[in-house]
Amino acid sequence: MAISLTGTFASALAWSSILSLTAIGITLLYRTTRVPNFAHASFVTTGIYASTIVWVFGFHPYLGMPLGFILGGLEAVLLFYTVLEPLRRRKASIFLLMMATLSFDILMYGFLNILADMLQFEFKILSRNIYFAPIDFRIGGFQGVTLVSFVAFLITMVALQLLLYRTNLGIALRACMENPSLAQTLGINVSRMLLLSWFIAGATAGLAGALLPFYQMCNAYTGTYYIAEMFCASIVGGLDYLIGAPIGSFLLGYAKILLLSFLASTVGPDIINYMMIIPLGIMVITLAVLPTGIVSLIMRRRGV
Amino acid sequence: MLRVENLNSGYGKLHVLYDISVECGKKEIVAVLGPNGAGKTTLLNSIFGIADIYSGSIKLDGEEISKLPPHNIARRGIAYVLQMINIFSELSVDENLRISMALSKNTSPEMLDYVYELFPILKERRKQRAGTLSGGERQMLAMSIGLVRNPKLLLLDEPTAGLMPLYVNLITKKISEIRDQKEISIILVEQNVQKALEVADRVYVLVSGQIVFKGLPSELMGEKEIMKLYLGMGD
Amino acid sequence: MDPLFEQVMLFATSFAAVYSIYIILTISLNIQRGFAGIPQFGLVFPMAGAAYIIGNLSIRIAMFVLGIKTSLDPIYESSGVIALINPVLSSQPLLSIGLFIIYLIIGAIVGAVLGVIQVAPAVRLRIDYLSITLLAFGEIMNVIARAYRPLIGGEYGVQVPSVFGWAGENTIAVMAATMLVIALMIYAYAEYIGRTPMGRTMKAIRDNEVAAAALGKSLVKYRTIAIVIGSAFCGIAGVLWAFFNGSVMPGQFTRFNFTFIPWLMLFLGGTGNNKGALAGATIFTALDRLITYYKHEFVGILPFDVIWLYQILVGAITAFVLIYRPQGVLPERPYIPKDIRERIKKSIPESS
Repeated sequence: MAISLTGTFASALAWSSILSLTAIGITLLYRTTRVPNFAHASFVTTGIYASTIVWVFGFHPYLGMPLGFILGGLEAVLLFYTVLEPLRRRKASIFLLMMATLSFDILMYGFLNILADMLQFEFKILSRNIYFAPIDFRIGGFQGVTLVSFVAFLITMVALQLLLYRTNLGIALRACMENPSLAQTLGINVSRMLLLSWFIAGATAGLAGALLPFYQMCNAYTGTYYIAEMFCASIVGGLDYLIGAPIGSFLLGYAKILLLSFLASTVGPDIINYMMIIPLGIMVITLAVLPTGIVSLIMRRRGV
Repeated sequence: MLRVENLNSGYGKLHVLYDISVECGKKEIVAVLGPNGAGKTTLLNSIFGIADIYSGSIKLDGEEISKLPPHNIARRGIAYVLQMINIFSELSVDENLRISMALSKNTSPEMLDYVYELFPILKERRKQRAGTLSGGERQMLAMSIGLVRNPKLLLLDEPTAGLMPLYVNLITKKISEIRDQKEISIILVEQNVQKALEVADRVYVLVSGQIVFKGLPSELMGEKEIMKLYLGMGD
Repeated sequence: MDPLFEQVMLFATSFAAVYSIYIILTISLNIQRGFAGIPQFGLVFPMAGAAYIIGNLSIRIAMFVLGIKTSLDPIYESSGVIALINPVLSSQPLLSIGLFIIYLIIGAIVGAVLGVIQVAPAVRLRIDYLSITLLAFGEIMNVIARAYRPLIGGEYGVQVPSVFGWAGENTIAVMAATMLVIALMIYAYAEYIGRTPMGRTMKAIRDNEVAAAALGKSLVKYRTIAIVIGSAFCGIAGVLWAFFNGSVMPGQFTRFNFTFIPWLMLFLGGTGNNKGALAGATIFTALDRLITYYKHEFVGILPFDVIWLYQILVGAITAFVLIYRPQGVLPERPYIPKDIRERIKKSIPESS
């Protein structure tokens, strides 16, 4: 029993780390652009195929991490620049902005599917079944992705913290999150700050996607499959504070994996197919009981 | 210092200002008065690059700024103190000022001291979260955020709106002090005609997007019609 | 029959069928978004749910009504059971139609219930939380259908009885024509609602929540009405689609086809405008059917499925419309009741 417990723990650690990398982007974008980004699914899927591309060219897919980071970031910048910024300038409603991210997601989904089909055609791989766990290294009896994802998560958090609190750029970004019109009067180019936040969000999501095939079998639909869970993590943590993203992700990640583990051993392994319902259920409950998320509850207690 | 010439501006298709010409020199307080909806805030928005400029010119120290984006205009030394939501409520007073300073190139540590001397109450409350300040204190902080950047031009949008008389008097007095102590131009948009006339060096009256009066405060007092019709000041 | 004529008929019936579905879905969206301001990004949920329930129940109900008994399992061995049911149905047109109506009613009720369940947790929330929740629910339907095998047999799905079998070789044409008639009835009903006091209240709420609330109109009540009606229509659409396809399978109800495209149609038409929805539906049905029928032409030329190009195209068009013409191609004209229109005409002086 002890072995399966630590195995579950490790699995939850990996999943929570990967989930955090996606959720931080969602919360960041929500704080800066005030829109829930449905295209986040595509950013993650892009990361998946970044790893895949690296692999078909003969390199170890972990090298897909920097590629996923860059491609995800660029993709987000593309979305911002071509669609969201023009809309923002026209003072579009949040509803139009949401629709815009959804359209981009659809567009990207088509594109990524084409990429998958072509990879399959050219390189004879099963591009709808990307799974790198068998070639992952092992450490102390666990899969390497547990360590790699957690380290990636930590580095990202630290880097973000340094950026936001130790650099002028970061200060400007935080000012934009707090009060964009005031930030503008202080000489901050709000549009450029938003661009930066989109790059960061896309890049972290791409990084998460690059790690995902080490954790589970992936295809072009995987990002879309998890978009609800990503939002869930952000919402549960609380969209008002960036720290909400990792907190919500770890809470949700552990709850899900431990619950599934427990149910699988009592009710039966089929329960895994219902995995999706857990985060949805938690999100619904959270929205009913605590719509601003856990972090704001903590903040309120501290009298902030 | 600041010269606006034949400005036509508005928001999208909504034409608000018609052929406006306004000037403000160094160490001058220019008040812009008028009824609601006249376009006073639009004038400030136009100078700051937020409104859409259809034609005309806006020159700061001889340099044309009408085509620049707002953040560049801010960096040229224009501080725009908005009427509302003009502070970072989650941060402390001191942090608000430090952020403003960190993002400005012209400033120096003396400006922080200056601002704390000008508004001692802010110094008292400097560790306090800005969102917990009273209305008047918030306005003082908002003005300080702008001032601490050592600007050439200060744009004030109804700084005394909604404040109790104590603060109205205090802030009006401080505006006058700023003009005396610093090499600065101040454009003051106000609803409170009396207070504005007390401190202004020159006055413009804006009605329905057009200037119906420009001159000295004393001259305006003599224009009974204007005072009554547009500024609500009966005999 | 002349093979060209056959081909044209095939295309036309399939066009009519898909067109009807899209009309109903777009109208459903229109009611939920246009009348009550709900961003229903999870339109699939009531539609697929109703289809799945009908998939599960239709055979059993038919068996019950027809008095057929068999040891075959209605879900896992549905094709076997259908083989027993269909011959009986084809010889009894009135009974078939009656069954069909029952299925539609069930579908409408299930759709309405699911719609309320979907929206209820978040109906008081801000638009962004609401959309995320609705979207998330939408994703769940396929998961449940695949996982819970007793529903529709997991991946394999179930067949449904052929309720228009009595039309012989015209079965598909009759089916499509019926769908079209139902769609137009729903369209007419939606137009009618828009003109009633209730409909105008709902539009008022959409346009300015605070003002409407100040006038004493209950937000929750009217939103609920909009959701119930809209989701019931979705349910009907789901049932129709199931019967047109002859089976219900998971993966049949994709977010792209049954949430995104209706939204795009709505945008093209302009929110709140039913006529525009019709126009939008025409364009996309045509594209959809052309691609379905001609995609094999592309197999040699492109190393991928042409449907992905379609998605890219659709995504791009939507973004374009959003940026350059968000009010839609045919914007909404406010509905002015006839007596007021007369009064306005009279009060305008004759131009000289």
